[in-house]
Amino acid sequence: MISILSTTPISPVHPITNVVPLSLVLLVSLIKEAFEDWKRLQNDMSINNTPVDVLQDQNWESVPWKKLQVGDIVKVKQDALFPSDLVFLASTNPDGVCYIETSNLDGETNLKIRKALERTWDYVLPEKASEFKGEIQCEQPNNSLYTFTGNLIIDKQTLPLSPNQLLLRGCSLRNTEYIVGAIIFTGHETKVMMNSMNVPSKRSTLERKLDKLILALFGGLFFMCVVGAIGSGIFINSKYFYLGLSGHVEDQFNPRNRFVVAILTMFTLITLYSTIIPISLYVSIEMIKFIQCAQFINKDLHMYHTESNTPALARTSNLNEELGQVEYIFSDKTGTLTRNLMEFFKCSIGGKMFGTGITEIERGIAQRNGMQVNETPSTTVVKEKGFNFDDPRLMRGAWRNESDPEIFKEFFRCLAVCHTVLPEGDGSSDKITYQAASPDEAALVTAAKNFGFFFYRRTPTSIMVREANTEKMGSVQDVTYEILNVLEFNSTRKRQSVVCRCPNGRLVLYCKGADTVIYERLAGGNSDIKKITREHLEQFGSSGLRTLCLAYKELSSELYEKWNEKFIQAKSSLRDREKRLDEVAELIENDLVLIGCTAIEDKLQEGVPMCIETLSRAGIKIWVLTGDKMETAINIAYACNLINNAMKQFIISSETDPIREAEDRGDPVEIARVIKDSVKQELDRYLEEAQELLRSPYGPKLSLIIDGKCLMYALDLTLRVSLLKLSLNCSSVVCCRVSPLQKAQVTSLVKKGARKITLSIGDGANDVSMIQAAHVGVGISGLEGMQAVMASDFAIAQFRFLTELLLVHGRWSYLRLCKVITYFFYKNLTFTLTQFWFTFHTGFSGQRYYDDWFQSLYNVIFTALPVIIVGLFDKDVSASISKRYPELYKAGIRNTFFTWKVVAIWAFFSIYQSLIIYYFTTASSRNAHNSSGKIFGLWDVSTMSFTCIVLTVNIRLLMSCNSLTRWHHISVWGSIFAWFLFIFVYSGIMTPRDRQENEYFVIYVLMSTFYFYFSLLLIPIVSLMGDFLYQGIQRLIFPYDYQIVQEIHRHDPEETRRQMLEIGHNLTPDEAASFAVARLPRETSKHTGFAFDSPGFESFFASQAGVFAPHKPWDVVRRASAKSKHRTSKS
Amino acid sequence: MEMDGASSSASGGAAQAILLTSRKPRVFYRFTQQNLPACRPALTPTLIITIFLLTGVVFLPVGLVCLRASESVEELVLRYDTECIPENYRSNKVAYIKDVSISKKCKLNIKLRNYMKAPVYVYYELDNYYQNHRRYIKSRSDKQLLHGLQQKDISSCKPMESSNGLPIVPCGLISWSLFNDTFAFDVKGGKVNVNRTNISWKSDRAHKFSKNVYPFNFQNDSLIGGGKLDPSIPLSEHEDLIVWMRVSALPKFRKLYGVIEEDLDAGKLLTVHLANNYNTYSSGGKKKLVLTTSNWLGSKNNFLGLSYIATGGCSILLAILFALIHVKFPRPHYDTSHLQWNKRGGAR
Repeated sequence: MISILSTTPISPVHPITNVVPLSLVLLVSLIKEAFEDWKRLQNDMSINNTPVDVLQDQNWESVPWKKLQVGDIVKVKQDALFPSDLVFLASTNPDGVCYIETSNLDGETNLKIRKALERTWDYVLPEKASEFKGEIQCEQPNNSLYTFTGNLIIDKQTLPLSPNQLLLRGCSLRNTEYIVGAIIFTGHETKVMMNSMNVPSKRSTLERKLDKLILALFGGLFFMCVVGAIGSGIFINSKYFYLGLSGHVEDQFNPRNRFVVAILTMFTLITLYSTIIPISLYVSIEMIKFIQCAQFINKDLHMYHTESNTPALARTSNLNEELGQVEYIFSDKTGTLTRNLMEFFKCSIGGKMFGTGITEIERGIAQRNGMQVNETPSTTVVKEKGFNFDDPRLMRGAWRNESDPEIFKEFFRCLAVCHTVLPEGDGSSDKITYQAASPDEAALVTAAKNFGFFFYRRTPTSIMVREANTEKMGSVQDVTYEILNVLEFNSTRKRQSVVCRCPNGRLVLYCKGADTVIYERLAGGNSDIKKITREHLEQFGSSGLRTLCLAYKELSSELYEKWNEKFIQAKSSLRDREKRLDEVAELIENDLVLIGCTAIEDKLQEGVPMCIETLSRAGIKIWVLTGDKMETAINIAYACNLINNAMKQFIISSETDPIREAEDRGDPVEIARVIKDSVKQELDRYLEEAQELLRSPYGPKLSLIIDGKCLMYALDLTLRVSLLKLSLNCSSVVCCRVSPLQKAQVTSLVKKGARKITLSIGDGANDVSMIQAAHVGVGISGLEGMQAVMASDFAIAQFRFLTELLLVHGRWSYLRLCKVITYFFYKNLTFTLTQFWFTFHTGFSGQRYYDDWFQSLYNVIFTALPVIIVGLFDKDVSASISKRYPELYKAGIRNTFFTWKVVAIWAFFSIYQSLIIYYFTTASSRNAHNSSGKIFGLWDVSTMSFTCIVLTVNIRLLMSCNSLTRWHHISVWGSIFAWFLFIFVYSGIMTPRDRQENEYFVIYVLMSTFYFYFSLLLIPIVSLMGDFLYQGIQRLIFPYDYQIVQEIHRHDPEETRRQMLEIGHNLTPDEAASFAVARLPRETSKHTGFAFDSPGFESFFASQAGVFAPHKPWDVVRRASAKSKHRTSKS
Repeated sequence: MEMDGASSSASGGAAQAILLTSRKPRVFYRFTQQNLPACRPALTPTLIITIFLLTGVVFLPVGLVCLRASESVEELVLRYDTECIPENYRSNKVAYIKDVSISKKCKLNIKLRNYMKAPVYVYYELDNYYQNHRRYIKSRSDKQLLHGLQQKDISSCKPMESSNGLPIVPCGLISWSLFNDTFAFDVKGGKVNVNRTNISWKSDRAHKFSKNVYPFNFQNDSLIGGGKLDPSIPLSEHEDLIVWMRVSALPKFRKLYGVIEEDLDAGKLLTVHLANNYNTYSSGGKKKLVLTTSNWLGSKNNFLGLSYIATGGCSILLAILFALIHVKFPRPHYDTSHLQWNKRGGAR
């Protein structure tokens, strides 16, 4: 607008003054947009052109995804992604089943089963499939991933379709050669796409604050203009005959209509003072942020994960400084805090504890207590996925030397037999892989293998185990156990049993499960083992391990036969089969003999507890939002040091008796009411308690644990406020069993309700909504699923890199951006104010003080580069110190460096400096300044002023730097040099165009006087003295934290960071090469843009009544995680 | 930081081997790792005191030198705008100045207090005269001053671009309002010569005002703003005009009229014969005549010297003040009790 105004005659300035910076700004942002669009287009193209086989005339034709239409019959091969939502017709597997992996949708890596309708099993071959004629009736496209209803009509026969026949886009096919399916939803109608939200464009809070500042500047501009306009209206008078105001005068100077004069002058002044609005600020900020991302964050070796060859990735460059202000972190659990890798870590057999490993949490405690943890990895240690155990007393058959080898045998046998794992690969122990529903189970079986009980084959009725060292040391024999019954795991039973017949005819029931349920069912006697094992369980629990109790029971054949009859009966019953099976299982799972317990480490990502501790010292509160069960979540929270025993825990759970009773009655309205009431009660009670505790000075820290069901009601409008109040008082919050949507709701509750800066971190598609909802979304990259990364703003390989990302990059970005913004504000204000003071001496006519080119190049050349350099290089303290004093981060949370107070201080000094510069240069302008007696004109004086401003403003920047590299000097002195170079050239030439040659020879005239040099020394120093004084006093009396830390480490060697880096990373040439490779442009992932909504617990699709879905083990066992021991250990 | 020393030398080997192979990647590496060599200036009290002291020590003598230079300048100021109006016209100065029929001659005497060494510069000083008004400043054509009538587009000269249908050279309000009071001096009957050449900057004379352009159609309108120009003399020799057209920065300004190239002795009576032609009465400005000597720093200008002295004095005062604060309320560098998180008690 100002540019347009400047082309009109009322403008005091040449249009170029405003057009040049503006077009530069526009150009840069256009290029940026275009670049991003182009990248997006490429990504889309690669997805759209993925080929898939479509049935055409009895043949499979390869067709790109984008050409698929509803109704096409497609063939999807193993490991391929489903191109759209399909109805599953047939597969190469017998029984019309296929396995799919849904990790893109819910982050679960275990396979799910889909089963085609029996009627369509045959359509596997193209010839056959082309005969397929049918009609599918189904619901409208919707976003519910777990429901689907429809009918398949073949030959006038209507068959119901359920989610069990639905293959969703985003899943991939596993363990199946290929499947045939009919497309029902494509493109944006697919369920995953219906779930994807429009990616909200994020702007950083600082930038929003900046907008306010700009608004304030507009206010200031307006004020200045009004003052000037009123002045002009009053001033204009025909008595100033030399202005030629008699006769016909254009409106702007017509003294007969002062009002019009004022209005028009107002517009004039707007263009004149438009420099107060730092247009180039936005471009500079974008440039700074872009380089920060591309060069600093993406290339930081501290955030480079060597194992997965993944550097950090900043996907947007808008949010760098937001990273420096994060107060709340919402973290997913699986894959983020933990590796989703279960490792057999310790065990207790017959009352003896085995396993020498040290968990992260123990290490953390030890470090806090100042103990040195020396780990000498023994050479004998067997490292395998799922097995991280070493104890010479057990390995390689050494267990035979223990006092009671039989119980060891039972222990191992139980591990090897009582499970629902499928072995894959040939029978050799190196090549076998275990397909298990949960990593826990696989870990247990792997453990058995390493103890010499190698489970290598499963048939429907038997399990084959290669047992070593059972008879005597060194012997190996294959043993087949006949599996008679499997009593499956479910969440109420919390245990799993297998009845098997040993080759010698012995009937045994092996059982493993949560300690509470097993202990209830133990036979009497032998209380020593029970007591010791319980102690061990507690010990394992407190070191963050997941425990399972193992037990067995010898069965007599009569007893078994009797029971088996009931079992078969129950199994074949049509109504309440599950319930009846559970009842029958109760009958036999009693009088068990405790063997021992296992402890599995739900392996935390490297450095997580340390990272969390550092972050919480930095004043960041970490919330864990997980789909896991409450016990698991609490367990991990302990392991991560989020919760400890000194904390007061508030637990809001839906697993209470009144709620369960209500649920049993099954009336949804009543359930809702009951839960809501109880949630309300608890919230109120806890809130009261929390406030009481907070009032006492040394009260414990608080933590809140809430589950998804309760959260649903707590997020209700009426309860939201108290939930927020309570949770903000807690130093850690754990939400378990939450759906992705709830994750997002919780995030936005804090974001909007508490107006704090939030960060979400997650790795799976179920975290997408949360990542998008938070101010900053961070994805864990380097794993297969890319959804989280695609939705995120930053991607890092490991959770622990958050320290680096927030405390180093974020903090620096924040500091730098604040400095850049306030400095921009200052320099433009100073410049414009000198202009403003001049207006008072020109009869408010809007005469410009400076030459057009000075004004337009001021922001673009003479003061542009140094501030960008500061935006890139300024460091208050080094990276290692930033991490050593996480508390420094709190300045960002409090937003210390960009408050109105800070702005006001800058503004004050800006006014001071502009007054000094203006009055000092003009004060003696009427005098001669050299011995020739000649007098300076306006342009001489203004050039003088401008020189002083360029000097002052640039040196002021140097004064505000915390560290000065040679680039600072180059840019600052270079800018000043550029000004002189410019003015030498500019005032040395005359342009052929008709314009005023005001500046001609001005600088040479100036430089012929001593006065010039004396002023040049005096004015900048006087101007800067105020700032200097302020800085001195501020530092001496009201120091910022970082300044104290700077002083503490003032004499540390500068090289600290580099040395640390080299220690930390020690890049060998190989690693350096791999890092270089990682920098190469990478093929982008094909699956993008899925967001999704999942209940996140139990099996992926609920089996529907009427459709026979074999309740296979691999839906279940992961729930067999341990009951938390902490509550018991506390009491 | 206990790990810094010993271990780095041992372990840094491999890394440095690749990093140091060539300089360029190393610089780039240090750039991306944000580890460029930098000095970390910190405003310690000692530094502050040193800087203030240094400023004071440098500025005070400079200020004294400047002030002395300025004090050595002799300056005589004579306001004549009311003096030169006959008593009966004092109540209506505008009518007087506009009345062409009245002689504007005026004679004033000044007592020379001190000896004035040649060259003595003669200035006129106007007050409340807005040469920097936007309408005024715009109204000129630098191209016309160079090319004369060949320059057809002189729209920038509005409202004084033409009269009687012919373009004006030099056009525009600035030249139209040329100052036209004249001054002549004598001392005890002896005429004192005023040299009216070389009063403008050489660059203006040589490059902005052409030797080949002559005034044309100038002040031929009914409205006459100021001085007339001899149409037979080229613009570059109208130094009055050149001086006048280098517009002043502020509404109060001096312009060089001429140079008296002989010494003026103290105690003598200097008679000024002036023609009070120029109208500053309608806009209510003052007119002054200034006689001044000059030195290397120009004419009388206490401002520079005084500011230097003031700044220097302040610096030393502040240095002392800081020293006092530092001694009285020291904040040791290793004192972490000022850290915010220590102040608030507990690392919450």
